Amino acid sequence: MTIERKIREHLHKEAETMECPSAISKRIEQSYSQYLQRKRSEITMKKRLIGGIVAAAILIPTAVFAAPSLIEMLTRTPMTTEQVKVDEVGKATLEKLYSAFPETKSFEIIDASHLGGDPTNSTKMKAIQISIVLQEKGGTGKKIRLDTNGITGEIEHVNQENWEPKEKPIISLTDQEIKAKVDYLIDKMYGNIDKYEFSMEQMENPNQKTFMLNYTEKGSKTPFYQVFVQGNTISVSLIGGGPTSSVEGFFSTNGKPDYTADSFLNDEKLFSLLKISPTELKLELAKGKSVVEIAASKNVSKQQVIDVIANTQAEGQIQAEQNGEIPKNNHSKEQMKKALEPKVLQVIEHKTETPW
Amino acid sequence: MQSEYMYQLLTKMIEGDQQAFQTMYEATYRDVYRTVSFLVDHQQDREDVMNEIYMQMWTSLANYDTNRPFHFWLHGLVIRQVQRFRVKNWRRFRIFERIRIFSREDHHWDHPTVMTEGTNQEISQAIQKLTDKQRTVIILRFFHDYTLEEIATLLGIPLGTVKSRYHAALQALRKNLWNLPLERMEKINDY
Repeated sequence: MTIERKIREHLHKEAETMECPSAISKRIEQSYSQYLQRKRSEITMKKRLIGGIVAAAILIPTAVFAAPSLIEMLTRTPMTTEQVKVDEVGKATLEKLYSAFPETKSFEIIDASHLGGDPTNSTKMKAIQISIVLQEKGGTGKKIRLDTNGITGEIEHVNQENWEPKEKPIISLTDQEIKAKVDYLIDKMYGNIDKYEFSMEQMENPNQKTFMLNYTEKGSKTPFYQVFVQGNTISVSLIGGGPTSSVEGFFSTNGKPDYTADSFLNDEKLFSLLKISPTELKLELAKGKSVVEIAASKNVSKQQVIDVIANTQAEGQIQAEQNGEIPKNNHSKEQMKKALEPKVLQVIEHKTETPW
Repeated sequence: MQSEYMYQLLTKMIEGDQQAFQTMYEATYRDVYRTVSFLVDHQQDREDVMNEIYMQMWTSLANYDTNRPFHFWLHGLVIRQVQRFRVKNWRRFRIFERIRIFSREDHHWDHPTVMTEGTNQEISQAIQKLTDKQRTVIILRFFHDYTLEEIATLLGIPLGTVKSRYHAALQALRKNLWNLPLERMEKINDY
């Protein structure tokens, strides 16, 4: 036997006896989760940035700008199919999907998780995001992934994979065909596809052909939906709307958007208390209701609303003092909240098109 | 084609598809772990290097050459991380090296060298005794069956250098295992 053969055989035999310790696998899995978190928080930070710029641009000198507090370190926790089905947001997401694409009722939930919060325990903080992945049993293995905002219940991302036959993936279709498929998906999931201006371009990606499709509301600069098409996947991201979004001009005066109360009303904790999305809140206010009335219709008291808003504003103020943006006044948080109450009251009892 | 499928998995994994990560890990971890084990001696270091390799996986697609099979890219990652680790731990490594030399001498003291064909344990030891550079060439050549040209590409060194390391490694193994007289550098018909 030659030395070469001997070494080859020996190495293969020895390799057979080497088992990778599970600790290593666990560690690598953790590294991947951390990577995912970073990736996701980059997306939310991007959204926050857009929201932040808008909010900063419409600051009024008297109001304290409530910057969203930085996300604490979040962990993604797996959920069982059962947990998804009893979770308020999870259930609502599935219902939306089932009514949009009835065939998905027979799909299996192959993966589900939530980011931050604890959806199994509603007394704790709400999850920032719930993700559900469903896959067709057999067939072409159609897959759909939904990421829902745990606070507003809006579906922030939809990922549709393998809905085209393998031999003719979505990217191989003509531009018109691709647009039609994406239009259909957005229209089914969100509706109103016709009201957006549309643009499509090919990305400079040397590794893989990728298209970016933007759907923009008339007169707006940032797209409302941004879609990437690659391989056999369509991924839609909701950029407009959303909790940190550029919803602005909650009220109007003389038919013009009135930004006075925006810094108070753009409050995630308020949306979660009222179980309402910013867009919905704006619609309700436009009907001439006050925030207090909207809260009452949801069995939320005036005091609860004041507490939530005043708390956010006071925290923002403390934060700004610590950052040295405004002079320190050494009041306790409770004192600040008290001082803010009259302002908050003015906002939540205000009705659109009435004088301030 | 396998490589194409792996490439798609990779892109999905980078986009954040956990399922794709699981599939990719399942498909690669044994091979990666074994290769790392052959090249890195200490268990804790193996773990660190493994982790680094996978972290590279989802942060770099840039050097993926679609004309080459997937495992070529994978082993490129492995080799780069092993080498990075060696440079980083060079000092500490020197100390180990010295300890190893001492223990080796003790070892010779205790057991006179066996002159028969090497047993498995002896082959292992002989491979361990090679320099890192020689060992890398031997593992790529005989465990992964790469040609010497491919090894040159993987290591980013000239073919001539690979050949001389390869021959030097074989000589050392011969000497340690079979106690054969050193041969002149000449053609080996096995590639």
